[in-house]
Amino acid sequence: MNIIIAGGGKVGGTLAEQLAAEGHSVTIIDVDQNTLDRLNNQLDVMCIRGSCTSRGTLIEAGAGDADVIIAATDSDEVNLLCCHSAHRLGIPHSVARVRDTSYINDMDALKRDLGITLLVNPELSAAVEISRILRFPSAANVETFARGRVELVSFQVQPQDFVADRSLADLSSKIQSLPILFCAAERGDSVFIPNGATVLHQGDRVYMAGTPGGIHQFFRLLGRNDHRIKNVFIVGGGRIVFYLLVQLERLGMSCKVVEKDGDRCRQLAEAFLKSLIIHGDGTDPELLTEERMSASDAFIALTDRDEDNLIISLYAHQEGVPKVVAKSSHQNYTSIARSAGVESVVSPKLTTAYQILRLIRGLQNSKGSSMTALYRIAGGRAEAMEFRVRPDDDHLGVPLKDLSRHLRPGVLIAVIVRDGSVIIPDGSTCLHAEDDVIVVAQNSGITDLDDIYTAG
Amino acid sequence: MNYKLVARITGFSLLIEAAAMLLPLTVSLLYGESPVPFLIAILIICAAAVGPVTLLRPRQEFFAREGFFTVGLIWVLFGVFGALPFRFSGQPQFASFIDCFFETISGFTTTGATILSEIESLPHGLLFWRSFTHWLGGMGVLILTTALLPMLGISSNYLIRAESPGPVKSKLVPRASQSSKILYGIYLALTGAEAVILRIVGMNWFDAVTHAFATAGTGGFSTKNASIAAFNSPAIEMVCTLFMLLFSINFAVYFLIITGKAKQALKSDELRFFLGMVAIATCVIAWNLRDYYSSILECLRYAVFQVATVVSTTGFVSADFDLWPEFSKVILVVLMFAGACAGSTGGGMKCSRILVLYRSAKREVRSIVHPRAVEVVRLDGAPLSERTLQTTQSYFIINIFLVFSMAMVVGLDNFSFGSTLTAVITCINNVGPGLEAVGPTCNFAGLSYLSKLVLSFAMVLGRLEMYPILVLFSRSAWKRS
Repeated sequence: MNIIIAGGGKVGGTLAEQLAAEGHSVTIIDVDQNTLDRLNNQLDVMCIRGSCTSRGTLIEAGAGDADVIIAATDSDEVNLLCCHSAHRLGIPHSVARVRDTSYINDMDALKRDLGITLLVNPELSAAVEISRILRFPSAANVETFARGRVELVSFQVQPQDFVADRSLADLSSKIQSLPILFCAAERGDSVFIPNGATVLHQGDRVYMAGTPGGIHQFFRLLGRNDHRIKNVFIVGGGRIVFYLLVQLERLGMSCKVVEKDGDRCRQLAEAFLKSLIIHGDGTDPELLTEERMSASDAFIALTDRDEDNLIISLYAHQEGVPKVVAKSSHQNYTSIARSAGVESVVSPKLTTAYQILRLIRGLQNSKGSSMTALYRIAGGRAEAMEFRVRPDDDHLGVPLKDLSRHLRPGVLIAVIVRDGSVIIPDGSTCLHAEDDVIVVAQNSGITDLDDIYTAG
Repeated sequence: MNYKLVARITGFSLLIEAAAMLLPLTVSLLYGESPVPFLIAILIICAAAVGPVTLLRPRQEFFAREGFFTVGLIWVLFGVFGALPFRFSGQPQFASFIDCFFETISGFTTTGATILSEIESLPHGLLFWRSFTHWLGGMGVLILTTALLPMLGISSNYLIRAESPGPVKSKLVPRASQSSKILYGIYLALTGAEAVILRIVGMNWFDAVTHAFATAGTGGFSTKNASIAAFNSPAIEMVCTLFMLLFSINFAVYFLIITGKAKQALKSDELRFFLGMVAIATCVIAWNLRDYYSSILECLRYAVFQVATVVSTTGFVSADFDLWPEFSKVILVVLMFAGACAGSTGGGMKCSRILVLYRSAKREVRSIVHPRAVEVVRLDGAPLSERTLQTTQSYFIINIFLVFSMAMVVGLDNFSFGSTLTAVITCINNVGPGLEAVGPTCNFAGLSYLSKLVLSFAMVLGRLEMYPILVLFSRSAWKRS
């Protein structure tokens, strides 16, 4: 596909890298020559210098036969105008990054009026992810499928857990009745799809799909104290906090926010009645002690600096806060944080990039967008995808035990959602038309349900 | 300071006052009384005002300084010129000009404190003028000016802001003169309704209209020596209670109800606080009075009327509350301070200020636990700026400071402590009757001229909510540059 990316910043760069690697022809528009030079050296893309809102630049970038334009500059208004111009030039699909909190209620109208396919808001997506994590304190990361009917969570195996050092076949008597499935496991640097013979060890990170109720029951069986989070301590008062507090206040959690900018504190205090806003430096341990951080149920580090986030979340972890979430833009830091005990790391940039990638993969499918969700798990080494089964699928009505011979290695059909009910498939389950199927795959590049089968 | 323009606006306002005197003049003629006092007053006012209005060709620069100055000046001059009909009436009770001035200022500021001991013998024209000053003053004489004279062409915004500087926004629609007209429409309609209802429940037309004026402005001048108690009619008391409360609610509430936003109107923090305060005070006082009256209904009847009359700062009297138990008296004095809602015709500190003060005090206490917490004080859910909080707090401090300093001057007359203090409190809050020597059945005639002037000053201060008058004493207001 021909893709134009306006803005070569964090999100634009990540997307360009990913899309180019998947074989798309990518053109990047940016006003800054240095950015373009750097991208040109690193990636196999075309770079054009100019304003992405000008028709001339867009035409020069190949607007005539482009399939998608992604506007990811720093300015919301530039992004919106860029998409609108692209729409008028006949580019069929457009994605705009919009971050300003004041547009939050206008999203649908903007999409409709300006002809934009997708509006992405990195901070909003990050906030949604954090609030999901807080609802499931035992799990590190939570992704949802089929409109929240199915969730994918991960947890780390502890030595005292009953799942440790036993094969999954042994465990089945205990967890068979629960609507959950272990769909991937991460050990050291390797990722594998578990089967009946797999034995889980201490330190393995297990990815588990299932209904929210089933996951909840499993954690209770595991003896993880899955008590509800009531007090949340947040450091940093950026845009994410605006979205996050809306959700946390709705969940009835009481929040304390520490922010070092006075005006920002005032804005937050004006917008949120129930939360306590503290003006101070959140990286100062004395302040954290004075405000009794260690007594809170969850700690979230959301400052602008990844390094600060990492350090203060380590501090919070050390002080015994049960649930610690850190924001990080650098993927490298994620593994450092995990190894030090901070399990949940949220990256607005990556979240946004995946969101856009999901759309592109859906568009790429010539028969229409059958992929409805895509998450990268295990540090990007595996993917969890949701597909809608088409009526003309070749494998309808074939039991999975016969189908599995044709499956590509490293692919697992994890969950099927049929007419709103969640099915954990066994050998006799068949696929039906209009089923939602959640597939976990070790290798990326699957864009269609047909891709999970070996050729022929 | 743009003195020429100030003089011109003042001239226009005085002409309106002269025009207003045509009404009592007509009443005098209807009752076959001498119209001479009003004729002389109108002639003097015209003579004084015609010069600035016709001769001056001022520049149009008009800012906050001019606004406050004009408002202060006009209120004092209204008192001076409004006193003329009393002075020229030849009544022995009006022998001294200072007494006339006190009575007029008490009228325009809707206080209702009187120096008259014998009211009923006065001619109808004078009584009508006396009540009519309440009605004119209730809404504010400058709001009237801006409603009638948008052609003044100056930013009347500063005038209105200076005259009704309450903590709540007073504009209903974008244009100031349009807002004034809407407010006057509501005011006129409610007054008319009350007059008609009072006529139906047993007053004659003259009493109905004058009492409606006094209620509308939340003034309290009655045409009877014994005030409302003279009628001894529960129905009349009920109607007066209802309308006193109606006139002490922010008029923006009625505007919202008329424009179909009743839900929004009823959500107002201030309204809920006000109604809650009235209900609680009534019940507590009724309970406290249980040994004074024969039945619980009687207790409630007198309690609710007195609460309404004090909280709305009207100052009608249906029972001599000076004879009530101390507990009830203390509550009534506290209610005098609290006063009505902002944006109404009532006086006092205003409920919204009390709410804001309470909430910012609460925040102060909480900030001891979280010294670095940033917290916002809200009214009706909307955050208030720190500047608003400061203004409200200093308003409270200035109020207390002025009450005690003026009480010291009035103390020279050597009345009891209660009389001295409540005389000042009742005047600065525009209520009317105080306790003991200035109680419901007494009057202010016995005070010295100095005290009367100080109390007149207190009434204007209270009516204009301090700042426009205080600014006259600030040197920076007078500087040329």
